[in-house]
Amino acid sequence: MWGTNLRILGVVLGTVAVYTLLANAIPQVESEVPEELSFTGDVSPEQLIEAGEELFNGAGGCTACHGLGTRAPNLLTAQGSAGPIGARCAQRVEGEDCKTYLHRSLVEPGAYVVEGFQPIMPDASRTMSGAQIWSLVAFLESQGGEVTVTAADLQAADAGGEAGAAAGAAAGPSATTDPAELIRELQCVACHKLGAEGQEVGPPFDGIGSRLSAEEIRAAILDPAASIAPGYEQFAGVMPPNFGSRLTAAQLEAIVAFLAARK
Amino acid sequence: MSGRRLGMAASCLASLALVLVAVHVAGAQEPAVAGPRAYGSFPWIGSRTAVWIAAEVHLMFAAFVLGVPMFAVVAEGIGIFGGDERYDRLSKEFTRLLLIAYSATAMWGAVLVFFLTTLYPRFWAHMTEIFEVSMWIYVGLFFIESFTLYLYYYGWDRWKKGRAKIGHWTLGILLNVWGTAVLFIADSWLTYMMSPPANVGPDTSPAMVQFWSAFANATWMPINIHRLIANVVFGGSVVAAYAGYRFLSARTDQERAHYDWMGYVGNFIAIGALIVLPFAGYYLGREIYEYNQQMGITMMGGFMSWLWIIQAFLIGVLFLAGNYYLWVGMGRIPGAERFLPYTKWMLLVLIIGVIVWSTPHTMIADRAELEAMGGSHHPFLGVLGVMSAKNTAVNLMILTTFLSFLLYRRANRRPVVSWARTGTILQAGLFVIAAVVVLFYGVYGYFVSAIVRIGFSVYQVLAVLATIVGVVALDVAMLRGSESRGEIRWGQMPPRSQYALFVLVVTFTWLMGLMGFARSGIRQHWHVWEVMRDTSEWAATPALGYAAQVISVCVIIFLGLIAFIFWLGGLVEKPQLVPERGEH
Amino acid sequence: MKPLRHPFWQAVAILVIAYLLIAYGIPHLPQLVGMESAPVPGSVVLQYMVTVLVGVLIWVSDSDERWNRFLEPVRATMVDGDKRWLRLGLLIALPLLVGLLAFRQVRQTVAAPPSLRSIHPAPPSSITFRGRPLNLAGLDNPLRADGSVAEDYEEGKRVYYQNCLPCHGDGLDGRGHFAHGFTPAPLPFNDSGTIPQLTESFVFWRIAKGGPGLPKEGAPWNSAMPVWEDILTEEEIWAVIVFLYEQTGATPRTWAEAGEGGE
Repeated sequence: MWGTNLRILGVVLGTVAVYTLLANAIPQVESEVPEELSFTGDVSPEQLIEAGEELFNGAGGCTACHGLGTRAPNLLTAQGSAGPIGARCAQRVEGEDCKTYLHRSLVEPGAYVVEGFQPIMPDASRTMSGAQIWSLVAFLESQGGEVTVTAADLQAADAGGEAGAAAGAAAGPSATTDPAELIRELQCVACHKLGAEGQEVGPPFDGIGSRLSAEEIRAAILDPAASIAPGYEQFAGVMPPNFGSRLTAAQLEAIVAFLAARK
Repeated sequence: MSGRRLGMAASCLASLALVLVAVHVAGAQEPAVAGPRAYGSFPWIGSRTAVWIAAEVHLMFAAFVLGVPMFAVVAEGIGIFGGDERYDRLSKEFTRLLLIAYSATAMWGAVLVFFLTTLYPRFWAHMTEIFEVSMWIYVGLFFIESFTLYLYYYGWDRWKKGRAKIGHWTLGILLNVWGTAVLFIADSWLTYMMSPPANVGPDTSPAMVQFWSAFANATWMPINIHRLIANVVFGGSVVAAYAGYRFLSARTDQERAHYDWMGYVGNFIAIGALIVLPFAGYYLGREIYEYNQQMGITMMGGFMSWLWIIQAFLIGVLFLAGNYYLWVGMGRIPGAERFLPYTKWMLLVLIIGVIVWSTPHTMIADRAELEAMGGSHHPFLGVLGVMSAKNTAVNLMILTTFLSFLLYRRANRRPVVSWARTGTILQAGLFVIAAVVVLFYGVYGYFVSAIVRIGFSVYQVLAVLATIVGVVALDVAMLRGSESRGEIRWGQMPPRSQYALFVLVVTFTWLMGLMGFARSGIRQHWHVWEVMRDTSEWAATPALGYAAQVISVCVIIFLGLIAFIFWLGGLVEKPQLVPERGEH
Repeated sequence: MKPLRHPFWQAVAILVIAYLLIAYGIPHLPQLVGMESAPVPGSVVLQYMVTVLVGVLIWVSDSDERWNRFLEPVRATMVDGDKRWLRLGLLIALPLLVGLLAFRQVRQTVAAPPSLRSIHPAPPSSITFRGRPLNLAGLDNPLRADGSVAEDYEEGKRVYYQNCLPCHGDGLDGRGHFAHGFTPAPLPFNDSGTIPQLTESFVFWRIAKGGPGLPKEGAPWNSAMPVWEDILTEEEIWAVIVFLYEQTGATPRTWAEAGEGGE
C-alpha cells in the first residue's frame, strides 16, 4: 500500500520536477518595464528635457500654435534678436527668473501675453501633471539657456499637485449649465471661433449646427480624435480627450444643444 | 547550478508554508497605514507571488468544481434515459468528490480577495467601483449554487424514482447554470484587466466606465468558452486520477473493475474535450490580436516566445500519455488484438508530430554551433519552426488520437449492418481527406504571405473537425445493434497504465498554471491594460524559470489538498460498486 | 536468440538509428538533394532524443507481452548468476557515465554559454524618432503611397551603398567586407527568414534604433548595428527600406491581422 502511495508521489513530483527543470533550462527573460520618469528620485536634466521634448512635439499639443509662429510666438527660433526661448525668457519680466516665468506662463497663461498675440493659451495644468509641466519648462530652458529645474521643483509640484487635484476634484468645474459660460470656462474659444471671440485652431463654432448633427457634436466632444474635420488634420490631438469625465451629463447636453442650434 | 535550483525549489516550498499562514499576517498588517495607499507588502515572497498563488489555486479548485458537475449531470442523464444503473452511481460519486472541494474553492477565493484588498488596494478600488453590482450578484449566485449542490447530493437517494428523479436531474442542470453564470461573471473581471474597452483610458474615472462595455469586453466570450471546455478537461483528468488511485489501492476485483471503468470514463472526457480545446484557444488568440496587435506580439514573440515551447512539450506529453492509456487498455478488450499492429504506426505519427511541434524556431546554441548554422535559425530544421509546420503537426496528432479512440470503441464490436464495409471505407476516406487537406495547406503555407497563411489554419481545423463529426456519425449508425466480440475485462489493466493517468493530471494542472501565467503576463506592467499601471516593485513579469517554480508550488498545493479531500471522502462512505455489464 | 526480433534490442537499435539520423542525417542528407543544412545544436539533439526515448518506452510497454519480453534481458542482467561480471561492469560503468555527464555540465570552459537570440524581437508599439513620437502599429511606408517607387528606389540605393554596404554586402546577403568581424553576423536580406517576415515599420524601427535600441528581453544582443536615426533622415530610412524590398524581390509583411507567432 505504502509502496503504491510512494510510487504515485514519485510520479507526481517527478513530472512536476521535470517541467520545472525544463522551464529553468531555457533562456530566462524577464519582461521589460518601460522606465517612467522617477519624479521623486534624482531625475537628471537630460531625462527631463527628453520628456519635455516629447510632450512639446506630441501629446502636449504645443506645436499647434507655437510651432507655426503665427498664433503664438515661435519658441524654438529667435524672435527678433533675443534668441530662442531659453535665451530670452529671463528678460521677459523683470524680477522673475527664467524658470518662474516659464512655469507661470504655462499654468497662468493669461498673466503674460506677448504683445501682438491673443490670450488663447489654455492652462497647461488642466491636461498635464505638475511633473510634466516642469519637464516642459526644462525643455524650453534647454533651448538656448541653462536648465535650472531640479528634482525639488518636481517634488513640490507633486505634493501640491495632488492636493490641488484633490481640491479640484472636490470643487469640480462649476456646476453651471449655461452653455456660453461653460464654453468660456473650459476655454473652448481658445481654439474654436465663436463670433468675434477666439482663434481658429479647430473648426469654428459658428454654423457648426449646419455641418454636424447633435449626435456628431457630442461624439466629437467626447472622443475628439475619432474624426478630424477636413482642413484641421495638423491640429489632430490638440483637443483634450477628457471632457467626458470633466462635464456632467447635463452640462454636456447643454453644450451640445447650444452648438447644434448655431446654424 | 543544480544546487542553486534546488535551493530555489526549497525556498519555494518554504514559501508555500508561509502562504498558508499568510491570511493572519496580512490581516494583522492591514490597518497600520491611515488613508488610501496603492500597495501593501507581503513578507518574503512578495505581493505578486502571494496573489498569484492564491489566484491560481483558487482557479484550479474552481475549474474542478465547475467542470465535474457538467459531466456528472450528463452521466446521470445517461443513467436515467439509458437505464444503466452504473452511470447513476458514477455520477453520485463524482458529486461526492465535489462537495468538499467546493468549500476549498470558497476558502481560496476568500484568500484571494483578502490578498487583493490588502496588497493591491488601489487596483481593487478601481475594480470594485466598476464591477460592484456584478460582485453582489456573484456572491448571491455562489450562495444559490452551494445550496443547489447540497440539495443535489443529499437528495440523491431520496428522489430516486420516476418524476422525482427527473426533478433531481433538473437540480443538476441548475447547478451547472449557476456555475456557468459564476464563471462568466468572474471572467468579466479578469478579461476587463486584459482588454478594457477602447474608450477607457488612464484618466477615465472608474465611475464613468459603462458597466456593460467593461463587462462584455473584447476577450470575455473567448475566455468563457476556453475555460468552460478546459474545466471539463481538467475535471475529467482529476476524476481519472482519483479512479487511478482507487484502482491501485483496491483490494477486490470488483472494486478494481469499477475504478478501472471510472478511470476510463474520466480519461475519455478529458481527452475528448482536449481535442476541441485548441480551437477555442485559437479563437481567443485571434481576439487578442484583434483587440491589440501589440499584445498579440508580446504573447507570441518577445519574452513569452519560449513559453510556447514549454507548452508544446506539455501538450506532447498529453497526447502521448492519453494514447498510451488507450493502447494499454486495449489489452483488456477481446478483439482488440486485430488493431494492435497499427498502434506502432500511430505512435510513429505522434512522435514525429511531437518532434515537429516542439522544434524551436530560434535554437539555443553555443557560439560554434551558431556559426555553423549561420545564425540562430537552422537552415533545414528552421522550416519546422514556423506556424505552418506546427499547425500541421498538431492537427495530425489530433486526428491520430481520434483514431485511437475510434479503434478502442470498435475493438469488441462487430457491426451487423449491411453497409458496414462501405462505412468503414468511407470513414477511412474521411481520415485520408482530412490528412491530405492538413498536409496540403501545411506545405502550401510556405509559399504564400503571412496573412493568407493564417487563414489556412482555419481550413485545417475545419477539415479535422468535419472528419471527427462525420466519422462519429457514421460510427454511431454503423454500430447500432452490433454484436459483441466479448466482454471488456474491466479491472484487468496493468498498473503502469494508471500512472499515465497521474502524469496526465499533473500535466493538465501544470499546463493550466502555465497558460494562466501567459494570459496574465501579457498585460506586462499594467494592472488594467493601458489604463492602470502597475507601479509597485513587482511590476515586471518574471522570467519563465521563476514562473515555473510558482506554478509547481501551486500544482503541489492543489494536488496535495485534493488528495486530502478525496481521502476524507473515502473515510465517510464506501460506495457500492459493481459494473455488471462490460460495456462502456 | 535472434537479437533483432527481441524488443529490447529493437529498442536499442531504434535509439541508435534515431541518433545517427539526427546527429548526422539532418546535416548531410538534405545536401544530397541540394538543400542547405547544418549541424543540429546540442540542445535540439537532446530534445529529439528524449522524445524518441519516450516513444520507444511507450512502444515496448503498450502490450503486456512485449513489456515482459523487453524486461527479460534487464532482469537477467540483474539476477542471473552467469551475468555476474556484466552486472559488475554495469554497476561501475553507469555511475561513471552519470558522473561524466554531470562533470561535463558543470565544468568551466572558455566558450561563451549557449545563448538565445530571437531574430524577431517584439517591437514597441511606438518609438520616438528624433524626439517625435511615431506610432509603429499599423504604420506603412509613407513613400509607397505617392507611387514614385522608382525614385525612392534610386534614393534608397544611394543610401544603401553609402551606409549599409560594408556590413550587409553588395548582394544584400550579409557578407560585406566587415561582416566576418561580427557575431552576430549582419542579416542577409535575401534570406526568406528575414525581411519578408517583417512589416516595413518593423524594419524602420530596427534601422532607426539599431543595436542599442533592442529590447532588454533576449539580451545580450551584441548587435553592432548603429543607431541610424542620428545619421539618416526619416525619408532616407524609408527609401532604403523600399530599396531592400525591391532589390530582393520580397514583399513586406502586411498589417491588418498579421498576427502570427514567429517563434
